[in-house]
Amino acid sequence: MNMIDVKVAAIKQVTPLIKHFTFVKEDGSELPSFSGGSHIVVALDADGRTYRNPYSLMGSPTETDAYHISVRRQENSRGGSAFMHENVSVGMTLKITHPVNLFTLAKMAHKHILIAGGIGITPFMSQIEDLKRLGVEYELHYAFRSYAQAAFVDELKKSCGSSLYCYGDSDGERLDMQGLLSWQPLGTHVYVCGPSPMVVSVIETARNLGWPEHSIHNEQFLSPPVGEPFKVQLAKSEIEVEVPAEMSMLEAIEAAGVKAEYLCRGGVCGRCELGVLEHDGGLEHHDHFLTESEKASCRKIMPCVSRSKGKRLLLDL
Amino acid sequence: MALNFKQETFRDDYSYSNSAHAIRRFPFPFAEDQYMYSVNIEPHTKGEPGSVYEFPFDIDEHYVAECLDKEITLMQDPGRYHALPHMMDAQWDFLELTMTALANDYPEHFSLSRNGQTWTWDNKPLGVCDTFTFGDSSTLVREPFDYIGRQVQGDFVLLDQRDGTLYADAGIVTSQADWSLAFNVGMSWKEWHGPVPRATEIGVMDRALKYLLNLQLANPVRRLNWTMTVNPRLDTSPENYPYWGGDRNKVNTDNVGDLVNLRVELQSLFRLPRSNAIVFSIRCYLMSLKDVTSYPRWAKRLHRVQKTMHPDLIEYKGMTKFHPIVVDWLSKFDDGAELGIGTHPE
Amino acid sequence: MERGYWIKSKPVYTSLVWHEKATSHLVLATGIGGMAVLKLFQQMHPRQPVTVLYARYAQMDADYSETLKKVVPENLYIFKFEEALLASLKEILPDTRMGLRLYVAGSEGFIWDVAGVAKQFGIDDAEIMKELTDTLARSVYCVHCKSVTRNVTTNIVPCCGCERMLFVRDHFSRNLGAYMGLMVDAESPGELPAIEEIYP
Repeated sequence: MNMIDVKVAAIKQVTPLIKHFTFVKEDGSELPSFSGGSHIVVALDADGRTYRNPYSLMGSPTETDAYHISVRRQENSRGGSAFMHENVSVGMTLKITHPVNLFTLAKMAHKHILIAGGIGITPFMSQIEDLKRLGVEYELHYAFRSYAQAAFVDELKKSCGSSLYCYGDSDGERLDMQGLLSWQPLGTHVYVCGPSPMVVSVIETARNLGWPEHSIHNEQFLSPPVGEPFKVQLAKSEIEVEVPAEMSMLEAIEAAGVKAEYLCRGGVCGRCELGVLEHDGGLEHHDHFLTESEKASCRKIMPCVSRSKGKRLLLDL
Repeated sequence: MALNFKQETFRDDYSYSNSAHAIRRFPFPFAEDQYMYSVNIEPHTKGEPGSVYEFPFDIDEHYVAECLDKEITLMQDPGRYHALPHMMDAQWDFLELTMTALANDYPEHFSLSRNGQTWTWDNKPLGVCDTFTFGDSSTLVREPFDYIGRQVQGDFVLLDQRDGTLYADAGIVTSQADWSLAFNVGMSWKEWHGPVPRATEIGVMDRALKYLLNLQLANPVRRLNWTMTVNPRLDTSPENYPYWGGDRNKVNTDNVGDLVNLRVELQSLFRLPRSNAIVFSIRCYLMSLKDVTSYPRWAKRLHRVQKTMHPDLIEYKGMTKFHPIVVDWLSKFDDGAELGIGTHPE
Repeated sequence: MERGYWIKSKPVYTSLVWHEKATSHLVLATGIGGMAVLKLFQQMHPRQPVTVLYARYAQMDADYSETLKKVVPENLYIFKFEEALLASLKEILPDTRMGLRLYVAGSEGFIWDVAGVAKQFGIDDAEIMKELTDTLARSVYCVHCKSVTRNVTTNIVPCCGCERMLFVRDHFSRNLGAYMGLMVDAESPGELPAIEEIYP
């Protein structure tokens, strides 16, 4: 995969938990254009291993002199977000992938309802720029714990005006999902990014109201979950790899020097899919890609987020 | 190195021909003695200097004549260009991709100067020079895709990605192997490939789709496809089938080497940045069977491939009428010697 | 035709079944398609509001309007011809909301006329439940002159625009709501295969 070398041009503490990073090309040239909702994967070398974490690109897709991402420091972080917060400083160089978009706006929609929870606001920051440029009707509904902890509210007020609706939980403000989705004109699409319960709630509400599947969109990147350690045997490479508790299978395979395909590293895109030849005790699927029957068959696995329930796996790699 | 553009035609008197250089760089598609439909997608990376893979968009000695033929086809049938309204971002993406590539790879012939959103495009071989505002269609004489699509060899289809599939939502198509843009525009991947025999059954199309949905910026891919065409005609469209279909009856043992052309499509696919659409580029290369035999290795390989071709594919590619004559004629060039894998001419 | 060979552009039609999840239902039918509507109401009377638009005349004469009046509790609108029904549909759709489910029963021509109207309002044809009743007659798009010949019941048909004899391919365009027609005797002028009625 072609990587881009970037330099950290600025870091800003946005809230106690969120930092905003600005990246520029080392030689000062322009970065590639992208579409609203795109993400990049940032590669970080730390503690003798490489972390690769996906982050949504914020800012306007048409302004390509710099890329912007925001990183929320995750509790129980396996290292990626903690490393970004503690060890990345201005002037450092990093490698990033070209932008990938797994959360695109439906170009034929007549109206867009964007629903964000907390740090889930980030992919919408670039999408609203596209929507404004195209002059399409939209509403941004942004829910968070408290105004003190919410990122980018002032910025959004300026840029979205009356299309922005904020909901501060500590102020007793709640988003009435049922009300919002019951009275939308034909051709409306809904998008949600945020904590898992919120995503599920939006999807379920829209479905129950009879919204067609293709008008419901969500982005739910998973961080690779911590699990039990296990061993992976690679049939073609003829090697054995230990997967420690706090490392994903994909990371462990890469650390062993075996080239594996990947794109989103969050269980969404399906690119890293591997064939499972043998297992002892089943698979712990965490991805959003495989169908339920594929998951049940135990013949395929997404090594970016999924793990073995047993002690050992034999993979077709 | 400046190219020497030929004056020639792809219709009426068919004065099209290949120079020795063009024959040598021809993208011969058969690496093995047997052919079967497959995904055969590979990264569209920079190839050897002089080869058709040297640059993302190959410009060759036929450039000017081909663009002229394209103009004629579009004038006679404006329906060969079609873009659905939601594809405007993709149109500008396409214009940027092609102008940038051509200016960068063929600086003797094309130049692009960018001053903010004000761009000046200078196409010397076609004598076109225009200044326009990027992103503002009213500053060009045509829609951006139509404008620049006429100035690049090959056909182009812009694919919109949504609902887990790709839709052919815009195209400029004048040198197609018997499919109709006007009929297919707006179709999903599966509908579009509906008529491909056998391939669908073995899941080739599903696998290719899955691969393309994950196509990344700056990582284009390519594949070769092929058929045979009577006369070096670019416009073998269903639209004009009444005018070229009858040519299939004209092939006989004496003229087959001159009349029948191997038609190879270099298909490449690029992810577009602002629209997240994909451009599907179909660049057509034509070479008479006689020219194929300039290289004995190619003649032998082509004979073996054709001899073992599945009848469904022969029918699908519209070769049924003249195929036995082709195989018989090619057999004279095949001594049965082992060839080894590879598409190289010698 | 080769067995097991299925052209995937050809639409698949099913029997109408109520969507369980919806905020309202809109049912459209012509002629004998009225029977499909009656069958829907045999399944149940949905809790959500239902509107039925019915045009009495289609290819096959079968007027179900009297029975529909007895079965459909409210919001039944009866028209003489398809055109008036489609005009009414255009007036209804702007006032409806997400959660509306669409059901169509009639000829293929009617189904895709409805889909064409719905598309203007952001409804994808995949969201519309479609039952093919009435005739199997096809709309045929002439790839040469771009005219559409409607109500084609034969494998080969003269184009209403350019008069070429067209072979009706099994390749369907949802955008045009028509099958592709390709000149049948381009390679051998005047030599026509037997013309047979296969889409009665």
